[in-house]
Amino acid sequence: MRVVIADDAVLFREGLGRVLEAAGIQVAAQVGDAERLLARVRADPPDAAVVDIRMPPTHTREGLDAARRIRAEHPQVGVLVLSQYVEPHHAMQLLEDGAQGVGYLLKDRVANVGEVVDAVRRVAGGGSVIDPEVVAQLVGRRRTRNPIQQLTDRERQVLALMAEGRSNQAICQRLFLSPKTVEAHVRSIFTRLDLPATPDDHRRVLAVLAFLRA
Amino acid sequence: MSPRLRLALALTALAAGLVNLALLLRAGGDRPGPLAYLLVAIVGVSWSFVAAGLVAWSRRPSNRTGALMVAVGLAYSLNGLLLGGVTLLRAPLAFALWFLVATLPEAVLAHLIAVFPDGRATTRLQRVFLVVNYATTVPLALVQLLLVDPASLGCPACPDDLLGFGGRHPYGDAVLAVSDLSLAVVAALLLWIVATRWRRAPGPRRRSLAPVALVGVVLVVVYMTGQTLKAVLPADPPPALQVGFDMAIVTLLVLWPLAFLAGLARTRLDRSAVGDLAVELSEAQPPGRLEQALARALHDPTLELAYWLPDRHAFVDAAGRPVQLPAGGHDRAVTILRHDGDPVAALLHDAALDDDPALVRAVAATARMTIQNERLQAEVRAQLEEVRASRARIVEFGDSERRRVERNLHDGAQQRLVNLSLALGIARSRVGTTSEKEIAVALDEAAAELRLALAELRELARGIHPVILSEAGLGPALTSLAERSSIPVTIIAIPTGRLPSRVEETAYYVASEALANAAKHAHATAVTISARRQNRDLQVEVSDDGVGGANSDGSGLRGLADRVAALDGHLRIHSPAGQGTRITAELPCGW
Repeated sequence: MRVVIADDAVLFREGLGRVLEAAGIQVAAQVGDAERLLARVRADPPDAAVVDIRMPPTHTREGLDAARRIRAEHPQVGVLVLSQYVEPHHAMQLLEDGAQGVGYLLKDRVANVGEVVDAVRRVAGGGSVIDPEVVAQLVGRRRTRNPIQQLTDRERQVLALMAEGRSNQAICQRLFLSPKTVEAHVRSIFTRLDLPATPDDHRRVLAVLAFLRA
Repeated sequence: MSPRLRLALALTALAAGLVNLALLLRAGGDRPGPLAYLLVAIVGVSWSFVAAGLVAWSRRPSNRTGALMVAVGLAYSLNGLLLGGVTLLRAPLAFALWFLVATLPEAVLAHLIAVFPDGRATTRLQRVFLVVNYATTVPLALVQLLLVDPASLGCPACPDDLLGFGGRHPYGDAVLAVSDLSLAVVAALLLWIVATRWRRAPGPRRRSLAPVALVGVVLVVVYMTGQTLKAVLPADPPPALQVGFDMAIVTLLVLWPLAFLAGLARTRLDRSAVGDLAVELSEAQPPGRLEQALARALHDPTLELAYWLPDRHAFVDAAGRPVQLPAGGHDRAVTILRHDGDPVAALLHDAALDDDPALVRAVAATARMTIQNERLQAEVRAQLEEVRASRARIVEFGDSERRRVERNLHDGAQQRLVNLSLALGIARSRVGTTSEKEIAVALDEAAAELRLALAELRELARGIHPVILSEAGLGPALTSLAERSSIPVTIIAIPTGRLPSRVEETAYYVASEALANAAKHAHATAVTISARRQNRDLQVEVSDDGVGGANSDGSGLRGLADRVAALDGHLRIHSPAGQGTRITAELPCGW
């Protein structure tokens, strides 16, 4: 697997590069801004791009815009956007054009090397990754009428993992449940929250996040 | 007008009149006919207008009414002379000459009426009228002489081809019809102007128009009655009656200049307006109304009132906007009102008001208290405007400070901590897979990142608020600032003991901002800081040897000025290009 890393903090992107290399992921290029990132991706599309959200020249949301451009121009390239703080708004913008092969993670997650490597693999494979912090913000939000309270604790865990973009199989592994139990939980959640059942994981992420944001 | 010119004009009119009378005696002294009446009338009217005009002219030199009246009189004289000449010489060329200027006296009279009592055209309508009015004199007469049979112009003895232009006049009737029409247009325009003026004139101005209007109306009535009688009576009216009407008209014409003179005198003596103003000002005035009241009292709708702001050394209007005084042009004049020799306000008015400086002074004296009041209000409004702007700048400054802090956190300490996480993550992932030595390298990297993060957090916290300032006071804080500076700083003086915390904070802020500017923009190599008590103030002075030319409107220095102003202090920036920068703040300490 080949990835491109874009971050203007040299120390960080080199460290991340070492981590990915150690996990057997080839780092095709390291760049410091969105323009070079787009040029690299266009010249030689990798399997995934890891992009810092704030990059020169304005240090605001260059990475986010570049990620959306990559998704539009090269749907087969997964994009993992990293940020020092997370905003559900940014997550939703990123997912607006489809949740396939998109990720949005807090930079702090690098403390757990395995988690970052896993996230890169998932977006490269077309999956979606939403930072638990985003999901926690959305789930924990105060609501006047809160249908989430109707869910059992276990169902709430399953809901959060779905919102993070996990597949049923990943949820099984996470919660040490059998596939049948997870499926039952998912069905129950969809019924209780009055969501249309969707067989495919990407649309499931979107549906759950949209529900949480509404 | 010089006395010599006045004398010359008087003598000219006198001489022309005497010649006219001589012509009258020569033409038909033994048998006074219509011509005789005409000449007597002309001489009387001419002398009357010239005499009254000279009086008006000398009383109100800058009002053109007097000059216009003299012009009317002289035009009548000229007309009489030419008429006498025509009668004596019976030469076609003399007739042509007379005919050209025959309507000039009435045209000048119409001009006088149209612009009375200002003496100048002030509206567009008046200007249009004047053009049309004079177009019906010499130019129209010339056209008539060229295109109309002289016989139908009143010269049966003249040859067809008066000006040697070929003798046929195919368009004669049409030209005469157009001439009559244009005269009617002139008359209608004049009536319209007079009626509008009367309708719009405020009371005092009507009083000046009244004598002129009265004589004018009587003139028209007498003339119309005579014409009606002529038309109605089966036979010609008896000669006595005819002479009576003519005499009445001549008498009225001779009296008319006196009416003009009286009207002019009434505008001059329009002191009632001052009384009206006093009454009006005794009532509470909304801001800006004073200007209108003064404009009414002085009959000058263009009048502007500007207040002097000693702080700014500038005149402003009631809303606090700057006003530029006219540089002494032709139309605008300025009267500066003073109190104890200092300017208080300025009246910008029409130059015509300079005719009567006493009236302007009387009006200004009446309004003095109110003007003082409004001036103070204008001053307060200007200050309020300044405070509003500074409040907006302070809010904006606070916001931009927060953005700066966020940015510093994000790019500094936060980034270090992310790197630290990464280093720790790498170290942890190596446990059991590589040598302890390699893990130790990764842990050292993590420790280095942590030290940097802590240093940056400390620096940032100090930038937000230096703890030493609140704990130990301004002196130690300035010393610490100097020790950490990237440019060598010499401290000349620091106050002992504590000052009010707001003063200490502002003083520290002045010093640190000036120091930052010296390092960032001025490329200075040395800075001196002094902070000493001076009377009841704390004076903070920061000088550098940099490039100078600091922009006092830049956001940094503007923010300093606002902070200093918030303590009622003063900030001075002396920064000539190439000669370093000296920033001085005087902060009242209230002890």
